[in-house]
Amino acid sequence: MTDDIPVLDLAVIDELREQVGGDSEFITDLVATYVSEGDEHLAAMEAAAAINDAGAIVRPAHTLKSSSAALGALRLTQIAREIEIAGREEETSGLTERVADARGAWNDTLRAMADAGLTS
Amino acid sequence: MTDVALIVDDSAVNRQLLARHLMSIGIDAREATDGRTALEALRTELGGQVGVVLLDVVMPEMDGYETLAAIKADESLRHLPVIMISGVDELDSVVRCIQLGATDYLPKPFNPTILAARVRASMADKRMRDLEVEHAARQAELLETIERQKEELSRFLSPQVAALVSTAEGQALLAGHRREATAVFCDLRGFTAFSDQAEPEEVLGLLREYHAAMGEHIVGHGGTLEHFAGDGMMVFFNDPVPQADHVERAVRMAVAMRGMFAGLAAKWARLGFDLGLGVGIATGYATLGRIGFEGRYDYGMVGTAVIIAARLSSAAEANQILLNPRAHAAVDQLVDVQEVGDLTLKGFARPIPTVNVLAIRASAGVATA
Repeated sequence: MTDDIPVLDLAVIDELREQVGGDSEFITDLVATYVSEGDEHLAAMEAAAAINDAGAIVRPAHTLKSSSAALGALRLTQIAREIEIAGREEETSGLTERVADARGAWNDTLRAMADAGLTS
Repeated sequence: MTDVALIVDDSAVNRQLLARHLMSIGIDAREATDGRTALEALRTELGGQVGVVLLDVVMPEMDGYETLAAIKADESLRHLPVIMISGVDELDSVVRCIQLGATDYLPKPFNPTILAARVRASMADKRMRDLEVEHAARQAELLETIERQKEELSRFLSPQVAALVSTAEGQALLAGHRREATAVFCDLRGFTAFSDQAEPEEVLGLLREYHAAMGEHIVGHGGTLEHFAGDGMMVFFNDPVPQADHVERAVRMAVAMRGMFAGLAAKWARLGFDLGLGVGIATGYATLGRIGFEGRYDYGMVGTAVIIAARLSSAAEANQILLNPRAHAAVDQLVDVQEVGDLTLKGFARPIPTVNVLAIRASAGVATA
Protein backbone atom coordinates (compact mmCIF):
# COMPACT_ATOMS: atom_id res chain seq x y z
CA MET A 1 0.00 0.00 0.00
CA THR A 2 1.14 3.49 -0.73
CA ASP A 3 0.24 4.70 2.78
CA ASP A 4 3.58 3.26 3.93
CA ILE A 5 5.51 5.49 1.57
CA PRO A 6 6.61 8.89 2.89
CA VAL A 7 4.73 11.84 1.37
CA LEU A 8 7.81 14.00 0.89
CA ASP A 9 11.46 13.05 1.09
CA LEU A 10 13.19 16.27 2.05
CA ALA A 11 16.58 14.67 1.32
CA VAL A 12 15.72 14.88 -2.41
CA ILE A 13 15.04 18.63 -2.08
CA ASP A 14 18.25 19.12 -0.07
CA GLU A 15 20.25 17.34 -2.76
CA LEU A 16 18.66 19.47 -5.45
CA ARG A 17 19.46 22.62 -3.52
CA GLU A 18 23.03 21.47 -3.17
CA GLN A 19 23.23 20.75 -6.90
CA VAL A 20 22.20 24.32 -7.66
CA GLY A 21 24.69 25.81 -5.28
CA GLY A 22 22.30 26.44 -2.38
CA ASP A 23 20.02 28.62 -4.46
CA SER A 24 16.86 28.45 -2.28
CA GLU A 25 15.05 30.91 -4.51
CA PHE A 26 15.41 28.52 -7.45
CA ILE A 27 13.96 25.71 -5.31
CA THR A 28 10.99 27.89 -4.34
CA ASP A 29 10.44 28.72 -8.03
CA LEU A 30 10.67 25.07 -8.98
CA VAL A 31 8.14 24.09 -6.30
CA ALA A 32 5.80 26.85 -7.55
CA THR A 33 6.06 25.41 -11.07
CA TYR A 34 5.34 21.97 -9.69
CA VAL A 35 2.28 23.16 -7.78
CA SER A 36 0.89 24.97 -10.77
CA GLU A 37 1.37 22.23 -13.37
CA GLY A 38 0.65 19.40 -10.93
CA ASP A 39 -2.80 20.76 -10.32
CA GLU A 40 -3.47 20.81 -14.08
CA HIS A 41 -2.31 17.23 -14.47
CA LEU A 42 -4.49 16.07 -11.60
CA ALA A 43 -7.50 17.85 -13.07
CA ALA A 44 -6.83 16.15 -16.42
CA MET A 45 -6.58 12.77 -14.68
CA GLU A 46 -9.85 13.37 -12.83
CA ALA A 47 -11.59 14.35 -16.05
CA ALA A 48 -10.31 11.21 -17.80
CA ALA A 49 -11.29 8.95 -14.88
CA ALA A 50 -14.79 10.47 -14.80
CA ILE A 51 -15.44 9.18 -18.32
CA ASN A 52 -13.39 5.99 -17.89
CA ASP A 53 -10.94 7.06 -20.56
CA ALA A 54 -7.90 5.00 -19.59
CA GLY A 55 -5.90 6.17 -22.63
CA ALA A 56 -6.27 9.86 -21.77
CA ILE A 57 -4.99 9.32 -18.25
CA VAL A 58 -1.56 8.02 -19.24
CA ARG A 59 0.15 11.25 -20.19
CA PRO A 60 -0.86 13.47 -17.23
CA ALA A 61 -0.16 10.58 -14.83
CA HIS A 62 3.26 10.09 -16.43
CA THR A 63 4.16 13.76 -16.19
CA LEU A 64 2.90 14.07 -12.63
CA LYS A 65 4.93 10.99 -11.71
CA SER A 66 8.01 12.45 -13.28
CA SER A 67 7.83 15.90 -11.64
CA SER A 68 6.81 14.41 -8.28
CA ALA A 69 9.84 12.13 -8.38
CA ALA A 70 12.10 15.07 -9.16
CA LEU A 71 10.94 16.85 -6.00
CA GLY A 72 10.83 13.85 -3.65
CA ALA A 73 7.02 13.56 -3.52
CA LEU A 74 7.41 9.81 -3.17
CA ARG A 75 3.87 8.74 -2.34
CA LEU A 76 2.32 10.69 -5.21
CA THR A 77 5.05 9.39 -7.50
CA GLN A 78 4.05 5.82 -6.71
CA ILE A 79 0.29 6.44 -7.07
CA ALA A 80 0.80 8.28 -10.38
CA ARG A 81 3.00 5.43 -11.60
CA GLU A 82 0.28 2.85 -10.80
CA ILE A 83 -2.33 4.98 -12.55
CA GLU A 84 -0.08 5.38 -15.59
CA ILE A 85 0.41 1.60 -15.79
CA ALA A 86 -3.33 0.95 -15.35
CA GLY A 87 -4.00 3.49 -18.10
CA ARG A 88 -1.54 1.83 -20.48
CA GLU A 89 -3.14 -1.53 -19.79
CA GLU A 90 -6.60 -0.01 -20.43
CA GLU A 91 -7.56 -1.09 -16.90
CA THR A 92 -10.49 1.14 -15.90
CA SER A 93 -11.77 -0.64 -12.78
CA GLY A 94 -10.93 1.30 -9.63
CA LEU A 95 -9.51 4.16 -11.67
CA THR A 96 -11.66 6.84 -10.04
CA GLU A 97 -10.58 5.64 -6.58
CA ARG A 98 -6.90 5.68 -7.52
CA VAL A 99 -7.22 9.20 -8.90
CA ALA A 100 -8.96 10.22 -5.65
CA ASP A 101 -5.97 8.71 -3.79
CA ALA A 102 -3.70 10.79 -6.00
CA ARG A 103 -5.65 13.94 -5.10
CA GLY A 104 -5.26 13.03 -1.40
CA ALA A 105 -1.53 12.44 -1.76
CA TRP A 106 -1.26 15.72 -3.71
CA ASN A 107 -2.91 17.66 -0.85
CA ASP A 108 -0.58 15.94 1.64
CA THR A 109 2.40 16.83 -0.52
CA LEU A 110 1.42 20.50 -0.70
CA ARG A 111 0.97 20.59 3.06
CA ALA A 112 4.35 18.94 3.65
CA MET A 113 5.99 21.38 1.25
CA ALA A 114 4.40 24.32 3.01
CA ASP A 115 5.51 22.93 6.39
CA ALA A 116 9.07 22.66 5.07
CA GLY A 117 8.89 26.32 4.01
CA LEU A 118 9.16 25.45 0.31
CA THR A 119 6.11 27.37 -0.81
CA SER A 120 5.79 31.11 -0.70
CA MET B 1 28.23 29.02 -31.44
CA THR B 2 26.32 25.79 -30.99
CA ASP B 3 26.33 25.88 -27.21
CA VAL B 4 22.57 25.85 -27.20
CA ALA B 5 20.49 22.89 -26.06
CA LEU B 6 16.84 22.35 -26.84
CA ILE B 7 14.89 20.72 -24.00
CA VAL B 8 11.76 18.96 -25.22
CA ASP B 9 9.66 17.88 -22.24
CA ASP B 10 6.05 18.48 -21.30
CA SER B 11 6.94 18.72 -17.63
CA ALA B 12 7.69 22.32 -16.68
CA VAL B 13 9.52 21.08 -13.56
CA ASN B 14 11.85 18.96 -15.66
CA ARG B 15 12.48 21.76 -18.16
CA GLN B 16 13.25 24.23 -15.39
CA LEU B 17 15.62 21.82 -13.67
CA LEU B 18 17.44 20.84 -16.85
CA ALA B 19 17.76 24.46 -17.96
CA ARG B 20 19.30 25.33 -14.63
CA HIS B 21 21.80 22.46 -14.76
CA LEU B 22 22.74 23.36 -18.33
CA MET B 23 23.16 27.01 -17.44
CA SER B 24 25.66 26.06 -14.74
CA ILE B 25 27.86 24.43 -17.40
CA GLY B 26 27.57 27.40 -19.75
CA ILE B 27 24.92 26.01 -22.07
CA ASP B 28 22.01 28.14 -23.08
CA ALA B 29 18.70 26.24 -22.97
CA ARG B 30 15.67 26.65 -25.21
CA GLU B 31 12.47 24.86 -24.30
CA ALA B 32 9.65 23.13 -26.12
CA THR B 33 6.66 21.39 -24.53
CA ASP B 34 6.14 18.80 -27.25
CA GLY B 35 7.73 17.27 -30.32
CA ARG B 36 5.78 19.23 -32.88
CA THR B 37 6.76 22.58 -31.36
CA ALA B 38 10.36 21.40 -31.09
CA LEU B 39 10.55 20.38 -34.75
CA GLU B 40 9.02 23.64 -35.87
CA ALA B 41 11.55 25.61 -33.84
CA LEU B 42 14.47 23.51 -35.13
CA ARG B 43 13.36 24.13 -38.69
CA THR B 44 12.86 27.86 -38.22
CA GLU B 45 14.17 30.22 -35.56
CA LEU B 46 16.53 27.72 -33.91
CA GLY B 47 17.84 26.36 -37.20
CA GLY B 48 21.59 25.84 -36.98
CA GLN B 49 21.89 27.17 -33.42
CA VAL B 50 21.12 24.03 -31.46
CA GLY B 51 23.97 21.65 -30.67
CA VAL B 52 21.98 18.99 -28.82
CA VAL B 53 18.38 18.02 -28.17
CA LEU B 54 17.23 16.61 -24.82
CA LEU B 55 14.09 14.69 -25.65
CA ASP B 56 11.44 13.25 -23.34
CA VAL B 57 9.66 10.08 -24.46
CA VAL B 58 6.08 10.59 -23.24
CA MET B 59 4.66 13.87 -24.49
CA PRO B 60 1.42 15.19 -25.97
CA GLU B 61 1.00 16.08 -29.66
CA MET B 62 4.08 14.27 -30.90
CA ASP B 63 5.89 11.90 -28.57
CA GLY B 64 9.61 11.22 -28.28
CA TYR B 65 9.64 8.36 -30.81
CA GLU B 66 7.88 10.33 -33.50
CA THR B 67 10.01 13.39 -32.85
CA LEU B 68 13.20 11.36 -32.99
CA ALA B 69 12.10 9.67 -36.21
CA ALA B 70 11.22 13.05 -37.75
CA ILE B 71 14.62 14.49 -36.79
CA LYS B 72 16.42 11.49 -38.28
CA ALA B 73 14.34 11.70 -41.46
CA ASP B 74 15.14 15.37 -41.99
CA GLU B 75 18.32 15.88 -44.01
CA SER B 76 19.11 19.17 -42.28
CA LEU B 77 18.54 17.83 -38.73
CA ARG B 78 19.71 14.23 -39.10
CA HIS B 79 23.12 14.85 -37.54
CA LEU B 80 21.83 16.71 -34.50
CA PRO B 81 22.65 14.66 -31.38
CA VAL B 82 19.53 13.63 -29.47
CA ILE B 83 19.76 12.58 -25.83
CA MET B 84 16.65 10.81 -24.54
CA ILE B 85 15.36 11.75 -21.10
CA SER B 86 13.91 8.75 -19.36
CA GLY B 87 12.82 7.39 -16.03
CA VAL B 88 14.48 4.24 -14.67
CA ASP B 89 11.32 2.30 -15.50
CA GLU B 90 11.56 3.27 -19.17
CA LEU B 91 14.78 1.53 -20.13
CA ASP B 92 13.01 -0.50 -22.83
CA SER B 93 12.02 2.66 -24.60
CA VAL B 94 15.57 3.98 -24.32
CA VAL B 95 16.88 0.94 -26.18
CA ARG B 96 14.29 1.50 -28.87
CA CYS B 97 15.28 5.17 -29.14
CA ILE B 98 18.96 4.35 -29.47
CA GLN B 99 18.07 1.92 -32.25
CA LEU B 100 16.16 4.77 -33.88
CA GLY B 101 19.29 6.92 -33.80
CA ALA B 102 19.35 8.63 -30.40
CA THR B 103 22.90 9.41 -29.27
CA ASP B 104 22.53 8.70 -25.57
CA TYR B 105 20.08 8.82 -22.70
CA LEU B 106 19.77 10.69 -19.46
CA PRO B 107 18.11 8.97 -16.54
CA LYS B 108 15.69 10.74 -14.21
CA PRO B 109 16.17 12.00 -11.56
CA PHE B 110 18.86 14.09 -13.21
CA ASN B 111 22.41 13.81 -12.03
CA PRO B 112 24.09 17.08 -13.02
CA THR B 113 27.50 15.44 -13.47
CA ILE B 114 26.16 12.79 -15.85
CA LEU B 115 24.09 15.42 -17.61
CA ALA B 116 27.13 17.64 -18.13
CA ALA B 117 29.27 14.76 -19.38
CA ARG B 118 26.70 13.46 -21.88
CA VAL B 119 25.70 16.86 -23.18
CA ARG B 120 29.31 17.95 -23.62
CA ALA B 121 30.27 14.71 -25.36
CA SER B 122 27.34 15.03 -27.76
CA MET B 123 28.11 18.64 -28.49
CA ALA B 124 31.77 17.85 -29.11
CA ASP B 125 30.72 15.13 -31.58
CA LYS B 126 28.43 17.56 -33.31
CA ARG B 127 31.14 20.22 -33.56
CA MET B 128 33.56 17.68 -34.97
CA ARG B 129 31.00 16.60 -37.52
CA ASP B 130 30.16 20.19 -38.42
CA LEU B 131 33.85 20.84 -39.00
CA GLU B 132 34.13 17.77 -41.19
CA VAL B 133 31.09 18.81 -43.20
CA GLU B 134 32.43 22.34 -43.52
CA HIS B 135 35.83 21.01 -44.56
CA ALA B 136 34.30 18.68 -47.13
CA ALA B 137 32.18 21.50 -48.51
CA ARG B 138 35.21 23.77 -48.81
CA GLN B 139 37.16 20.98 -50.49
CA ALA B 140 34.35 20.39 -52.95
CA GLU B 141 34.14 24.10 -53.66
CA LEU B 142 37.87 24.25 -54.27
CA LEU B 143 37.78 21.28 -56.64
CA GLU B 144 34.88 22.85 -58.46
CA THR B 145 36.83 26.08 -58.83
CA ILE B 146 39.85 24.21 -60.17
CA GLU B 147 37.70 22.30 -62.63
CA ARG B 148 36.01 25.48 -63.74
CA GLN B 149 39.36 27.20 -64.17
CA LYS B 150 40.68 24.27 -66.17
CA GLU B 151 37.60 24.38 -68.35
CA GLU B 152 37.95 28.13 -68.83
CA LEU B 153 41.64 27.68 -69.52
CA SER B 154 40.98 25.04 -72.12
CA ARG B 155 38.89 27.54 -74.02
CA PHE B 156 41.85 29.88 -74.29
CA LEU B 157 44.68 27.38 -74.57
CA SER B 158 44.88 24.23 -76.58
CA PRO B 159 43.45 21.31 -74.56
CA GLN B 160 46.89 19.67 -74.39
CA VAL B 161 48.46 22.74 -72.83
CA ALA B 162 45.54 23.26 -70.44
CA ALA B 163 46.01 19.68 -69.23
CA LEU B 164 49.74 20.31 -68.64
CA VAL B 165 49.13 22.97 -66.06
CA SER B 166 47.81 20.52 -63.49
CA THR B 167 50.45 17.79 -63.65
CA ALA B 168 54.00 17.58 -62.34
CA GLU B 169 55.22 16.23 -65.67
CA GLY B 170 53.50 19.15 -67.34
CA GLN B 171 55.37 21.60 -65.14
CA ALA B 172 58.66 20.16 -66.37
CA LEU B 173 57.53 20.41 -70.01
CA LEU B 174 56.44 24.01 -69.49
CA ALA B 175 59.93 24.87 -68.31
CA GLY B 176 61.25 24.21 -71.82
CA HIS B 177 62.68 21.27 -73.79
CA ARG B 178 63.99 20.40 -77.25
CA ARG B 179 62.51 17.87 -79.58
CA GLU B 180 61.64 17.30 -83.19
CA ALA B 181 58.30 18.81 -84.06
CA THR B 182 56.23 19.79 -87.06
CA ALA B 183 54.98 23.35 -87.43
CA VAL B 184 52.00 24.25 -89.57
CA PHE B 185 51.19 27.80 -90.63
CA CYS B 186 48.14 28.69 -92.59
CA ASP B 187 46.55 31.92 -93.67
CA LEU B 188 44.19 33.24 -96.27
CA ARG B 189 45.04 34.50 -99.69
CA GLY B 190 42.95 37.57 -100.50
CA PHE B 191 42.08 38.29 -96.86
CA THR B 192 43.63 41.77 -96.83
CA ALA B 193 41.61 42.83 -99.85
CA PHE B 194 38.51 41.24 -98.39
CA SER B 195 38.82 42.97 -95.01
CA ASP B 196 39.39 46.24 -96.80
CA GLN B 197 36.11 45.97 -98.73
CA ALA B 198 33.85 44.08 -96.38
CA GLU B 199 31.95 45.40 -93.37
CA PRO B 200 33.64 44.65 -90.01
CA GLU B 201 30.72 42.36 -89.08
CA GLU B 202 31.28 40.37 -92.27
CA VAL B 203 34.99 40.08 -91.52
CA LEU B 204 34.35 38.80 -88.00
CA GLY B 205 31.61 36.49 -89.22
CA LEU B 206 33.91 34.98 -91.79
CA LEU B 207 36.72 34.57 -89.30
CA ARG B 208 34.38 32.86 -86.87
CA GLU B 209 33.27 30.42 -89.53
CA TYR B 210 36.83 29.83 -90.69
CA HIS B 211 38.21 29.35 -87.15
CA ALA B 212 35.37 26.98 -86.23
CA ALA B 213 36.01 24.88 -89.32
CA MET B 214 39.79 24.82 -88.86
CA GLY B 215 39.52 24.33 -85.09
CA GLU B 216 37.61 21.13 -85.64
CA HIS B 217 40.46 19.70 -87.70
CA ILE B 218 43.17 20.93 -85.31
CA VAL B 219 41.49 19.13 -82.40
CA GLY B 220 40.59 16.13 -84.55
CA HIS B 221 44.22 15.57 -85.59
CA GLY B 222 45.66 16.25 -82.14
CA GLY B 223 47.43 19.46 -83.06
CA THR B 224 48.51 22.02 -80.48
CA LEU B 225 47.24 25.43 -81.48
CA GLU B 226 49.88 28.02 -80.68
CA HIS B 227 48.04 31.10 -81.81
CA PHE B 228 45.49 32.76 -84.01
CA ALA B 229 46.33 36.11 -85.58
CA GLY B 230 43.51 37.32 -87.75
CA ASP B 231 43.38 34.93 -90.68
CA GLY B 232 46.64 33.27 -89.74
CA MET B 233 47.17 30.40 -87.34
CA MET B 234 50.02 28.29 -86.15
CA VAL B 235 49.64 24.69 -85.05
CA PHE B 236 52.35 22.24 -84.08
CA PHE B 237 52.54 18.52 -83.60
CA ASN B 238 54.54 16.08 -81.42
CA ASP B 239 54.36 18.32 -78.38
CA PRO B 240 53.44 18.42 -75.54
CA VAL B 241 51.98 14.99 -76.31
CA PRO B 242 54.52 12.92 -78.30
CA GLN B 243 53.15 11.69 -81.63
CA ALA B 244 55.26 9.24 -83.62
CA ASP B 245 53.30 10.18 -86.76
CA HIS B 246 53.45 13.94 -86.23
CA VAL B 247 54.30 14.83 -89.84
CA GLU B 248 51.54 12.61 -91.17
CA ARG B 249 49.06 14.19 -88.77
CA ALA B 250 50.11 17.67 -89.88
CA VAL B 251 49.75 16.83 -93.56
CA ARG B 252 46.43 15.05 -93.11
CA MET B 253 45.12 18.02 -91.13
CA ALA B 254 46.20 20.45 -93.84
CA VAL B 255 44.56 18.35 -96.57
CA ALA B 256 41.36 18.10 -94.56
CA MET B 257 41.41 21.86 -93.95
CA ARG B 258 41.88 22.52 -97.63
CA GLY B 259 38.93 20.28 -98.44
CA MET B 260 36.70 22.00 -95.96
CA PHE B 261 37.93 25.42 -96.95
CA ALA B 262 36.86 24.81 -100.56
CA GLY B 263 33.25 24.67 -99.36
CA LEU B 264 33.57 27.91 -97.40
CA ALA B 265 35.40 29.66 -100.23
CA ALA B 266 32.65 28.76 -102.72
CA LYS B 267 30.08 30.38 -100.42
CA TRP B 268 32.16 33.53 -100.02
CA ALA B 269 32.85 33.63 -103.75
CA ARG B 270 29.10 33.99 -104.33
CA LEU B 271 29.31 37.14 -102.19
CA GLY B 272 32.09 38.39 -104.42
CA PHE B 273 35.07 37.61 -102.21
CA ASP B 274 37.94 35.61 -103.61
CA LEU B 275 39.69 33.79 -100.77
CA GLY B 276 42.13 30.91 -100.76
CA LEU B 277 44.01 28.93 -98.12
CA GLY B 278 47.80 28.74 -98.10
CA VAL B 279 49.62 26.28 -95.84
CA GLY B 280 53.28 25.82 -94.96
CA ILE B 281 54.54 22.76 -93.09
CA ALA B 282 58.06 22.26 -91.77
CA THR B 283 59.61 19.61 -89.57
CA GLY B 284 62.73 20.17 -87.52
CA TYR B 285 64.21 20.39 -84.04
CA ALA B 286 62.83 23.16 -81.92
CA THR B 287 62.58 24.43 -78.38
CA LEU B 288 59.15 24.14 -76.85
CA GLY B 289 57.72 25.43 -73.60
CA ARG B 290 56.53 28.50 -71.82
CA ILE B 291 57.32 31.67 -73.75
CA GLY B 292 56.50 35.17 -72.62
CA PHE B 293 56.72 37.20 -69.47
CA GLU B 294 55.24 37.15 -65.98
CA GLY B 295 51.59 37.98 -66.44
CA ARG B 296 51.30 36.59 -69.94
CA TYR B 297 52.84 33.32 -71.05
CA ASP B 298 52.08 31.23 -74.10
CA TYR B 299 53.06 27.68 -74.78
CA GLY B 300 55.17 28.02 -77.87
CA MET B 301 57.61 26.51 -80.33
CA VAL B 302 60.81 28.29 -81.29
CA GLY B 303 63.20 27.17 -84.02
CA THR B 304 64.13 27.27 -87.69
CA ALA B 305 61.24 24.95 -88.60
CA VAL B 306 58.78 27.53 -87.31
CA ILE B 307 60.27 30.25 -89.47
CA ILE B 308 60.39 28.00 -92.53
CA ALA B 309 56.75 26.98 -92.06
CA ALA B 310 55.75 30.66 -91.77
CA ARG B 311 57.70 31.57 -94.90
CA LEU B 312 56.28 28.60 -96.82
CA SER B 313 52.78 29.62 -95.83
CA SER B 314 53.43 33.12 -97.15
CA ALA B 315 54.90 31.71 -100.34
CA ALA B 316 52.03 29.29 -100.92
CA GLU B 317 49.48 30.14 -103.55
CA ALA B 318 45.79 29.56 -102.90
CA ASN B 319 45.15 25.90 -102.06
CA GLN B 320 48.82 24.97 -101.86
CA ILE B 321 50.27 22.99 -98.99
CA LEU B 322 54.04 23.41 -99.09
CA LEU B 323 56.41 21.06 -97.28
CA ASN B 324 60.06 21.47 -96.39
CA PRO B 325 62.37 18.53 -97.31
CA ARG B 326 62.34 16.96 -93.84
CA ALA B 327 58.54 16.95 -93.69
CA HIS B 328 58.34 15.65 -97.25
CA ALA B 329 60.75 12.81 -96.48
CA ALA B 330 58.57 11.68 -93.58
CA VAL B 331 55.40 11.40 -95.68
CA ASP B 332 56.99 10.48 -98.99
CA GLN B 333 55.02 7.22 -99.29
CA LEU B 334 51.81 8.78 -98.18
CA VAL B 335 51.23 11.70 -100.49
CA ASP B 336 51.28 12.71 -104.12
CA VAL B 337 53.25 15.89 -104.56
CA GLN B 338 54.17 18.40 -107.16
CA GLU B 339 57.68 19.87 -107.26
CA VAL B 340 57.58 23.58 -106.60
CA GLY B 341 61.32 24.01 -106.91
CA ASP B 342 63.93 25.69 -104.77
CA LEU B 343 62.37 28.59 -102.94
CA THR B 344 64.47 31.40 -101.66
CA LEU B 345 62.97 32.32 -98.35
CA LYS B 346 63.63 35.55 -96.48
CA GLY B 347 66.37 35.12 -93.89
CA PHE B 348 67.71 31.87 -95.39
CA ALA B 349 70.93 31.96 -97.40
CA ARG B 350 70.27 28.74 -99.32
CA PRO B 351 67.15 28.04 -101.34
CA ILE B 352 64.90 25.34 -99.95
CA PRO B 353 63.59 22.56 -102.22
CA THR B 354 59.83 22.58 -101.74
CA VAL B 355 56.89 20.39 -102.74
CA ASN B 356 53.17 21.00 -102.83
CA VAL B 357 50.86 18.27 -101.53
CA LEU B 358 48.30 17.34 -104.15
CA ALA B 359 46.52 14.56 -102.32
CA ILE B 360 46.79 11.76 -99.83
CA ARG B 361 47.29 8.50 -101.73
CA ALA B 362 44.24 6.27 -101.68
CA SER B 363 46.44 3.39 -100.46
CA ALA B 364 47.42 5.43 -97.41
CA GLY B 365 44.13 4.62 -95.70
CA VAL B 366 41.96 6.84 -93.62
CA ALA B 367 43.21 9.73 -91.59
CA THR B 368 44.50 9.06 -88.13
CA ALA B 369 42.90 11.35 -85.66
